[in-house]
Amino acid sequence: MDNPNHNAFDQELAASLSRGRSVAVPGFSGRVVEAVRADRRRRIVIRWSSVATAAAACLVAVLTLSAPSEEALNRQTLALVARDESAQLADLLGAADDLSLLSPAVEKPSVVEVLNAPGS
Amino acid sequence: MAQEEPTLPDDEDDKRLMALVAEGDDDALRLLVNRHHARLVGYLRGEVGSQATAEELAMEVFIRLHRAASRWRPEAKLSTYLIHIAHNLVLNEWRRRGRKPTTALEFAAEPGDSTQQSARRVAELDEAFQRAIAQLPPEQRTAILLVVQQELPYEDIAEIMGVPVSSVKTWIHRARSRLRELLKDFYGNE
Repeated sequence: MDNPNHNAFDQELAASLSRGRSVAVPGFSGRVVEAVRADRRRRIVIRWSSVATAAAACLVAVLTLSAPSEEALNRQTLALVARDESAQLADLLGAADDLSLLSPAVEKPSVVEVLNAPGS
Repeated sequence: MAQEEPTLPDDEDDKRLMALVAEGDDDALRLLVNRHHARLVGYLRGEVGSQATAEELAMEVFIRLHRAASRWRPEAKLSTYLIHIAHNLVLNEWRRRGRKPTTALEFAAEPGDSTQQSARRVAELDEAFQRAIAQLPPEQRTAILLVVQQELPYEDIAEIMGVPVSSVKTWIHRARSRLRELLKDFYGNE
């Protein structure tokens, strides 16, 4: 069962791998702390920019929601127009002007012609 | 700066340091990094085959640890938790690179005080082992590195890899068989 080659193999595998088990890197902790500080700053910037973006979005939403819609504006305008009598009169006059324009043109007799007419 | 407090076992001290890290104590973070980075870099170098990439990934592990410090619950050992994060980063790295680890390995064996000839054999063996390990499927490589190199128990490896213990045992068995096959020139046939 016990193959001596297997034992030698297992021992040398363990020896070879254990030689690379621990690889100390001089100054590594300093580099990590620097990287962590940079990461911390980056995340603060990201957090504040996302807060600012959210606040801006809220502001836009509030302004949009509090402003009357286009349909409401149309309704209000129509109501104002309906209540405005001068506008109604202007409408009537406008219509009358249109009618006078459409009526056939008739030449009116002059005063002299009227006086000279027989039987006058 | 005080290095380690001898009255506290490592696990307890890790918990205390993590609590300080969560409060933004950079000196506590420095102590944690000093305590754990060497093994982490060793594991990552075994996984990715490159010292530079291993250091980059180890840096990322500590940044993630710092971000998670306030949410960290000391249910597992911190060293296991660090390897868990490292393993996830390694998976991402494989995906990014299209799965294969670096084959040009940078291992330079240290001759130590043995003769030049045996030092050369050690260097050759190390290189051969690293090349063979790089050829293993990812899950087998991770399992063999964690059990042989990092000397972690099967249960911890299963937790790190998010699989049942039986899968870990299977992968380790297959990894050994595959390594023997790849290194048959050194050890002869079965």
